Amino acid sequence: MRRKATTLLGGAALVTVLVLSGCVSSSGGNDSGSAQDLSKVTYKGTITMVNKFSDPTTSKFFPAMAKAFEKLHPGVTVNVQQTSDQAYKDKIKVLASSNSIPDIYFTWAGSYAKQFIDAGLAVNLTSQIGPGTAWGKTLAPSAVKAGEYGGKYYGIPIDLDAKFMLYNKKIFADNGVSVPTSLDGLLNTCKTLESKGIDPVAFGNLYGWPALHYVTQLNAYNVPAATLNADYYAKHGTFTNSGYVKSLQQFKTILDSCVVNGSKTDGVNDTDAMASFNTAKAAMYYDEWVGFGQITGQIAKDGWGIFKLPSAAGSSGDTGTLAGAPDLFLINSKSKNAPLAVAFMKFVVSKKNAQIQQTVMTGYPSPVLGSLTANNASPQSIDALKAVNSASGLAIWLDTVTPAPVASAFLAGGEALINGSQSPQQVMKSVQQAAKSGGE
Amino acid sequence: MTVSARGALREKTPSESTRALVLPGRRQSRHSGSGWRRTPSVLRGIGGWRSVVWVAPALALLIVFVYFPLVQNIWLSFFSWSVFNPTPEFVGTANFVHAAQDPIFWRALFNNVAYAVVSIIFQVGAAFVLAALIEEFVRGRARAVLRAIYFIPSAISITVAGLLFYFIYQPQSGILDVALQHLGLGSWAQSWLGQDSTAIWAIIMMSQWQGFGYTTLLYSVAIQRIPRDLYDAADLDGVGPFSRIRHVTLPLVREMSTLLIIVTISGAFQVFNEVMVMTAGGPNNSSQVLGTWLYRSGFINNQFGYAAAIATVIFVITVALAILQMWINQRRRVEW
Repeated sequence: MRRKATTLLGGAALVTVLVLSGCVSSSGGNDSGSAQDLSKVTYKGTITMVNKFSDPTTSKFFPAMAKAFEKLHPGVTVNVQQTSDQAYKDKIKVLASSNSIPDIYFTWAGSYAKQFIDAGLAVNLTSQIGPGTAWGKTLAPSAVKAGEYGGKYYGIPIDLDAKFMLYNKKIFADNGVSVPTSLDGLLNTCKTLESKGIDPVAFGNLYGWPALHYVTQLNAYNVPAATLNADYYAKHGTFTNSGYVKSLQQFKTILDSCVVNGSKTDGVNDTDAMASFNTAKAAMYYDEWVGFGQITGQIAKDGWGIFKLPSAAGSSGDTGTLAGAPDLFLINSKSKNAPLAVAFMKFVVSKKNAQIQQTVMTGYPSPVLGSLTANNASPQSIDALKAVNSASGLAIWLDTVTPAPVASAFLAGGEALINGSQSPQQVMKSVQQAAKSGGE
Repeated sequence: MTVSARGALREKTPSESTRALVLPGRRQSRHSGSGWRRTPSVLRGIGGWRSVVWVAPALALLIVFVYFPLVQNIWLSFFSWSVFNPTPEFVGTANFVHAAQDPIFWRALFNNVAYAVVSIIFQVGAAFVLAALIEEFVRGRARAVLRAIYFIPSAISITVAGLLFYFIYQPQSGILDVALQHLGLGSWAQSWLGQDSTAIWAIIMMSQWQGFGYTTLLYSVAIQRIPRDLYDAADLDGVGPFSRIRHVTLPLVREMSTLLIIVTISGAFQVFNEVMVMTAGGPNNSSQVLGTWLYRSGFINNQFGYAAAIATVIFVITVALAILQMWINQRRRVEW
């Protein structure tokens, strides 16, 4: 009971901060540029960064970079504040409302980043990181592209991420199945494995997002790219293309054919699904590249590989697209030290420090070209890199690419589709309503 | 307090209760030497200006950190506002109309009410029964051991409890489903956290497991404060143990019951952590409660005006219920 009271008081205090800051804040507008010349850097003063990398496996990298930068430039102080993934979502909004966003701040790609850009809280970095610039040339083009909005480049990618189907090589070999290249092939593989008493695909959707990762990829396959972009980024997208329903139907088919007790997976955590794959109980698991570091145990002995979720024949979208997006940083357009902040990020996202990132920031591959080699990365990461480089584009996660109310509708709809309380058509109807109202 | 011929306690009439309520205040004023008749009526109950000075710091903190945010929140609920649009736009009662038309809001409200009802049954009703049985029938060290056993769940953090119950409810290898299958009730096994119809109930039951022991302990303390001579009088009258619980114990822990009912109901309307840890409001928003829907509306969907309106509704409901409960209790107060 005391905890509940503390939560309430904490919430009230938070609302107060928001309210008070709302009263005094003067930020706003759409000025996304900085008045400062980003090429003229004065190595003096203090810059602050806030990010979501407080997890023990990632938390050492940015403080180490700050220390190294300060050593290189004695007049500079870099303050790094790190929170957890969930806490960051609260923190950054409180900071935005109080007009106290730090010089450098983390964002997810898609509409999540766009809301900061639209509010004039991000520096246009086209002259620094855009294609053809010295820095931009050193980075993976798909990662740089993820930070582009309306033809201007705002986001600084810090890692590479994409979604792949992981498979147990031993189980595949023992049961005479090969890597599927089409959706029908995947369904047949599942049928074969299930007939031999093996769980084909491990899946858990307790918090909703794992389903959205499948739908992210399937939407890219089934909806033309232009329609997809128009719907995802518009304040009031229509979401009427038949490809959306088709994607949900395909996801449901995968669930019914490949996941044991698929309709019960809203009650299963994703980490349990991963454990099933790690212990060789399940033959496949759909995972993010940044999660490869957690694939350990029996699977390491059996051997594992990756493949892109296959598309159905005759798909009307871009089948060359790969679901995924790098994490980004933005520079606050109100920063008094924007050039210094950019200089620090150039230092962090550089070939030299990419090597450190490979070792210190477990599982977060650097977007710097050539930084990932057979000497410092697993074979699966090398395969993932090849897949990202050969992809026609990255399909940003559905829960961050769309406006929040639409993302919420997809999230709830995915869960409802799994447990059978809604059909694909009903899910899309609620998405359309959410898009129409735009949360108003 | 009056003991009847059968040893049972008689409740005071409203007029007696009123006199009983006034008396402590009179005694307090006389002891302070200020004379309650000359003290301004507002200060009479708190002992004069010197007392105000002593409570001023706490009062100031309360005003700044509790009442001011409360008033600001109510004010904000009449505006449309997001963190990226710092100028709130006055929308009148639109946020409340939105709430009235929002099926998830009603679902959340229903879940809060269900939470409150089940919590009163378990954390007040059953906790009283258990505490009374322990105090009545168990003696010596066994009593202390039982109290400790019941209290342990309350000492576990909600995150750990959530994880523990996730493993109990897990549909593939969870203890609950496995137990049902072994009992020949396999058809009852299901995805407790993954079904719209069961998710909130699964969370509510976890919460009962965690809160039950704490309220049992509070009832035990309240029961121990009851003068033993009342029980002795009841014994002399030949009253049995269950009648003693009903006619002696129950009326004399009424104030504790009132407190627990108020705290339980307000706690049920403020519930947040349990849901966030177990389901985050899913699946399909079926386990949303007002607190989590408020959070999602504000911090995820960027509708802070709507979130403030939900907070206002929570405030009105909990205050109304608390006032109602206190009023009922004052009318039926028992003292000794």
